[in-house]
Amino acid sequence: MIRFENASVTYPGGVRALHDLTLEIPDGQMMVVVGLSGAGKSTLIRAINGLVPLTGGDVTIDGVSVRRASPRQLRQLRSRIGMIFQTFNLVKRTTVLNNVLMGRLHSTGTLRSLVGWYRPADVEIAMRALERVNIVEKAYVRASNLSGGQQQRVGIARALAQQPKILLADEPVASLDPPTSHVVMRDLQRINRELGITTVVNLHFLDLAKVYGERIIGLRAGELVYDGTAAQADENVFRDIYGRSLTADDVMGQAAATVAI
Amino acid sequence: MTDARPAGVRPQPPSRAPRNVGLVAASLLVLWAALTLDIDPAEILELPGGVSRLFYEMFLERGPDWTYLDDALEGMLESLQIAWVGTVIGAALSLPLGFFGAKNVSSGLVSTVVRQLLNAIRAFPEIVLAIAIFIPIAGLGPVAGALAVGLHSVGTLGKLSAEVIEGIDPGPVEAARAAGGRTLQIQRWGVLPQVLPEIIAFWLYRFEINIRAAAVLGVVGAGGIGFQLQQTIAFQRYALAGTAILVVVGATIAVDTVSGWLRRRIIEGTGARVTGEVVEQPELAEVRAA
Amino acid sequence: MSLPAATRSVRPAKPRPSLAVPIGLVLFVAISWASLSEEFGIGLDIGALIEDFTRGAGILGELLTPNWNFLPRTVEPMLETFQIAVVAAVIGCAVALPVAFLASRVTSPNLATFLVDRSLLSVVRAMPDFLYALVFVAAVSIGPLAGVAALVMFNVGVVAKLLSETVDGVDTGPIEAARAGGANRSQTVRWAVLPQVLPNYVAYSLYTFELNIRASAVIGIVGAGGIGNQLFTQYRFFNWSNVSVIVVELFLFVFAIELLSIWLRRRLV
Repeated sequence: MIRFENASVTYPGGVRALHDLTLEIPDGQMMVVVGLSGAGKSTLIRAINGLVPLTGGDVTIDGVSVRRASPRQLRQLRSRIGMIFQTFNLVKRTTVLNNVLMGRLHSTGTLRSLVGWYRPADVEIAMRALERVNIVEKAYVRASNLSGGQQQRVGIARALAQQPKILLADEPVASLDPPTSHVVMRDLQRINRELGITTVVNLHFLDLAKVYGERIIGLRAGELVYDGTAAQADENVFRDIYGRSLTADDVMGQAAATVAI
Repeated sequence: MTDARPAGVRPQPPSRAPRNVGLVAASLLVLWAALTLDIDPAEILELPGGVSRLFYEMFLERGPDWTYLDDALEGMLESLQIAWVGTVIGAALSLPLGFFGAKNVSSGLVSTVVRQLLNAIRAFPEIVLAIAIFIPIAGLGPVAGALAVGLHSVGTLGKLSAEVIEGIDPGPVEAARAAGGRTLQIQRWGVLPQVLPEIIAFWLYRFEINIRAAAVLGVVGAGGIGFQLQQTIAFQRYALAGTAILVVVGATIAVDTVSGWLRRRIIEGTGARVTGEVVEQPELAEVRAA
Repeated sequence: MSLPAATRSVRPAKPRPSLAVPIGLVLFVAISWASLSEEFGIGLDIGALIEDFTRGAGILGELLTPNWNFLPRTVEPMLETFQIAVVAAVIGCAVALPVAFLASRVTSPNLATFLVDRSLLSVVRAMPDFLYALVFVAAVSIGPLAGVAALVMFNVGVVAKLLSETVDGVDTGPIEAARAGGANRSQTVRWAVLPQVLPNYVAYSLYTFELNIRASAVIGIVGAGGIGNQLFTQYRFFNWSNVSVIVVELFLFVFAIELLSIWLRRRLV
């Protein structure tokens, strides 16, 4: 279980990215975070794995404090948390498999990893992860030769290779076109249901949030302003979160049903 | 893990044979080179000791001997002047040659000939040019040194300038031509503004390198602090050498810093389309240019 | 067609021209004039120079006719030049790798290490290659060991600086991903940074090798092995035809390396 206790992040200029956030995320839940750019979505996600340090309060994962973790403990925590990014963050010049194997680095000795001599068991885990997102045939293809959607699936495979308990997704589909976005979101949903991995997703498009989010969190200026189910989240709710009327930019517009599987 | 969809076929890893063969061959070459060198392994062990002893004598024991400062500064100044004059000569001559060597500005034949000429000049280190050409002609002294540095710089700067010119955005040139400009005007107003910041950055960087080249020339009698460095070390006047070394290092770092700052300002200030890469690494352009 | 009547807008005042360019030009002229003059500078006399050129024509004639009988005596020193260049390049580039990573804010563990490494690098770079040769010859003895050691120092300076600047410009996304997955610093550098800079690293290494060949002319003169010694001797005895043989060999060597470098880089990118 992930627990935020009065968590705050205030940047040196005085900007409050997160303010006094208290929140519990039970195991296995699929939670979607919505809000304007700069509302704190990225900060919330990165506070969970410590990429952004808290300036107040705490975040605990199964009782272990992220804020007070030593560098070694932090690495251990992170090894159980997979993350995927809006810009995929793959190493473009190397193969898909090498990218996914980066998910096994945390359990590979430094000397081994420097030479690139992964254990066969680790390679097997990486291959299975690629199979799960249906892209294993591209294992030896250079990452830069893949489309955006394919790269994101490799990103998911990399996260899965960690055999994580938690999956963080920071605007995973913002760089993708609508059909591909649905494919990726469906993959995340399937992984959440089949593997029971707690999933926290930042989304920009509200219609996507309603379709794929079991629970929706709304952030505004770093504060929690909504916490409820997708069914309860109607236009008024979103207007509260965004602090303005909704525009066409806030919805993706293309329904999942029109997308070929 | 249960899969909801049929698994794809796992591909075979690509063959690593060519890469491995290449690596093995290269390693054997290096091993051969290392083992056939006429080096006594015992001497390798003496290396750290020898260097520490030298360091001690140069900077700690009685050195650095500041009475030598005037001589060292004089020598360094001469090296700086050699580098400066050489760079100016190189810059001045390389600019028109750069235009002639650019395929998009001058004809194919002319540009090829000019580029090959520049390549040929580039291949000779300054000291060889000094020894082989300019000392015989102009006699010993800094003039020969400056000319050697200048000629070599023409080669490098000419090639780099030509490449910058070849990389320009054709838009402004087209506009100038459409407005009725003559060739020289087009070069002056359509091409030059685009390439000048980057080229000036190369000039400054070349100056930094030329200082190091100029320092050597003293050894063969072409002026500069090289002579003093060699003499003090050869005659084991290490305390004096320490002073000379400090002068060289200090002057070089000072020039590097100022030049680096200037280069950054020039590129950023004009908002040129050039990426930061050129400012920080003009050598990269030299490397790419090969 | 007449233009519409101009609306009354205030014309902006012409910005005052920056003083930077005129000041720069004045400085430039002053320094150049001083450097060329007799009293302060190198004493460049164009008239005398032109006279000298005609005198030098005879020598140039000799230079343009290489004495190929001299070739066999250059083989061994040339070989030594090659060996020194190879060994120094390999050692230098290997050492430069960690030095470069420590010298970049992106991959350096903390501020102190970064600053120390950066400063040391500046000093190492500030010493010309022949100075290293002088020092090492004095420290051990004449011979190729001094040459290798000198060029290693020189190489580390060049490659580490170039590489650290490349690392500065690297895409930090993969680095974030690696850290987020629990990788430690070395693993992050190895898998998220190194693949991005590898083509540049190879280019710099080959460039260094080429520099080493050219530098051998210099370090040999001070006794650190290689063809430089031969070159200087022939020059001292005014054997211009022999000098030109050596010069041609150096040229061909450098040319060959450049070709190799282009081929290799094309295969790697």
